[in-house]
Amino acid sequence: MKAFLLKSKFEVIALQGIPAPVAGVETATAPLPLVIEMEHAARGTNLDVTVPAERVVDAAKILDDAKFMIEAITGVDWLADRQLEVVYDFTHAASGERVTVRTRISRDQPKLPTISHIYGGANWHERETHDFFGIIFTGHPQLIPLLLPEDARFHPLRKDFTA
Amino acid sequence: MSIEAQSILNETFVLNLGPQHPATHGVLRVKLTMDGEYIMDADPVIGYGHRMHEKMGENRSYAKFLPNTGRMDYIAALFNGHGYVGAVERLAGITVPERAEYIRVITSELNRISSHLLWLGAFLVDLGGFTPLLYCFDDREQILDLLESVTGSRLTFCYYRFGGVSSDIDENFAAGTRTFISRLRSRMPMYDGFVTKNIIFRKRVEGIGPISAEVCRKYGATGPVIRGSGVAYDVRKSEPYSVYPKFNFDIPVYHECDSMARYKVRIEEMVQSMRIIEQALDTLPLGPVMAEKVPRTLKPAKGDCYYNVESARGSFGVRLVSDGSENAYRLKLRSPCFSNMSLFRECSAGMLLPDALALMGSLDLVIPDMDR
Amino acid sequence: MEKQVEVPPGLIHFAMLDDVLNLARANSLWPMTFGLACCAIEMMATGASRFDMSRFGCEVFRPSPRQSDFMIVCGTISRKMAPAVITLYDQMPEPKWVLAMGNCAISGGPFKFPGQYGIVEGVDQLFPVDVYVPGCPPRPEALIEGILKLEEKIRGKRCYPIVEAQ
Repeated sequence: MKAFLLKSKFEVIALQGIPAPVAGVETATAPLPLVIEMEHAARGTNLDVTVPAERVVDAAKILDDAKFMIEAITGVDWLADRQLEVVYDFTHAASGERVTVRTRISRDQPKLPTISHIYGGANWHERETHDFFGIIFTGHPQLIPLLLPEDARFHPLRKDFTA
Repeated sequence: MSIEAQSILNETFVLNLGPQHPATHGVLRVKLTMDGEYIMDADPVIGYGHRMHEKMGENRSYAKFLPNTGRMDYIAALFNGHGYVGAVERLAGITVPERAEYIRVITSELNRISSHLLWLGAFLVDLGGFTPLLYCFDDREQILDLLESVTGSRLTFCYYRFGGVSSDIDENFAAGTRTFISRLRSRMPMYDGFVTKNIIFRKRVEGIGPISAEVCRKYGATGPVIRGSGVAYDVRKSEPYSVYPKFNFDIPVYHECDSMARYKVRIEEMVQSMRIIEQALDTLPLGPVMAEKVPRTLKPAKGDCYYNVESARGSFGVRLVSDGSENAYRLKLRSPCFSNMSLFRECSAGMLLPDALALMGSLDLVIPDMDR
Repeated sequence: MEKQVEVPPGLIHFAMLDDVLNLARANSLWPMTFGLACCAIEMMATGASRFDMSRFGCEVFRPSPRQSDFMIVCGTISRKMAPAVITLYDQMPEPKWVLAMGNCAISGGPFKFPGQYGIVEGVDQLFPVDVYVPGCPPRPEALIEGILKLEEKIRGKRCYPIVEAQ
């Protein structure tokens, strides 16, 4: 399944709301790029999609229907913007096409709906992202520490973490 | 639990497998809810080998992270190095000279063979057969001698640099590799008769641990796991990188989805790797092994990229986010063992405990790769 | 020239029998399989065909701590793993010895950095260590030398020649 064929489906859900600006923080004035098609060799992905946080489950459903497989879920801590970015990577086994889905959430109230009911593999990836960044994936069946000790209450990959 | 649930007929107990256990290939713990010998629920608990690689990627420069790459999946360390170095080169726009790419392919494929040999020995030990381990380690030591002569290490290689490799290969290496390949080729029929046709081994793995292609897709399992379930996904062919498009090799795919299929995929992969190495040695171009004008302190452009390679265990990926400084802003390491193990809970429900261990062995896990 | 090493005194001394017991202990040390990380592979290579630890009596790797004489700690001990390691050490019967193999077991190794949150910096923070074998990972020859050092510690004298560098 060629990734660019999904472009129109993503544009529909991505246009349903750009992430709300965080009060008191200046965000970039240029409009957010929503769905970008690119060469695989340039950035390692064929389609780069930015969606609002509430639309992550719809994006995962589009990719599940198109028979993509979940590769990785990770977070990035943008301390200066006071936002956490969550990046989902998907691959299509038959064609080798890749899709990257990004979303941004507020750093102080990091909540995102889980996609573990669509992709079983997202269960562990979301637990790991919760371990490292403290993002709460609402609806996750077992959001307990995966890589850190069971009683860990710290999130080491946040930029303001001190041991 | 209610009184009815506690009756003698459906009494379950919790058994702890690990974290110290000879069959878990490292420090993996699985909380098993058992009904006699049958597993009702297997909940893996990982993180006992967590060594903070992603944190270390952020607080040291790109070059200082190179030794870490050898210590994630230490059995197939060159693939991790290739993934990391490839991600940085992609972001910084460095072109690698052709001879260096050929050397990367030759050493990576030798590493793949040594990783599969070690897996073969360890898998048979899990099933109770101790002898093949000694034969596999004998062959493996020859590969380690070759790789030591060119990289300097036996296990945790740190050989690739941004823009090429750190030292060139010479005639001794090429001749030694050819001798080794012909020796291993002559020993493959022995492994075939000794292991593959062994009736006890076949009874332990044929039909055991079925993983369907749909489960592989939902959990992101790659490598021999997905190729043993009938899906021909190999990063070297689907998302070609380095100079792999120049070589003729096949991707072994089996459709039975059981542990025997995954075993046969890995045996066949060793044979194909030998083909690649021979072609690479025959057509090895002359030239430099390092790109010119690579700055000492690398500061790639702002942005992010993803680079993945076909490691011995599956698709190893690196997502690199750079903010223009000399340290990475975020370094995500996508580990194949992590995704391969995540399907264990779903696939092992209702299995006998020894069969579940055969399934776990056929997934080819390296725990520090899972835990990073 | 062999160096005489003091064997630590025990509660009951058997004189000549002590020497015989120590000879038996030193020549059949049973290690516990405690591979945590990369060094475990070099330990497996030491037990395998080329380097062959069974020449020195250490071939029988016991998975159970109750049946083993010494623990080769190979690999990094994470803070999550530390309680399990201490439990295993406590479960080993006396006399027991510990060999710290690799830089991670000696001092945290390459994973020790300011602000680290995950590892124990050296196994001697948890329990006493008898022999340290440095390396990352140490070569199988180095591990064998470490085991011979342990045998020297148990017996009081070394019975294998020291290999001189050429």
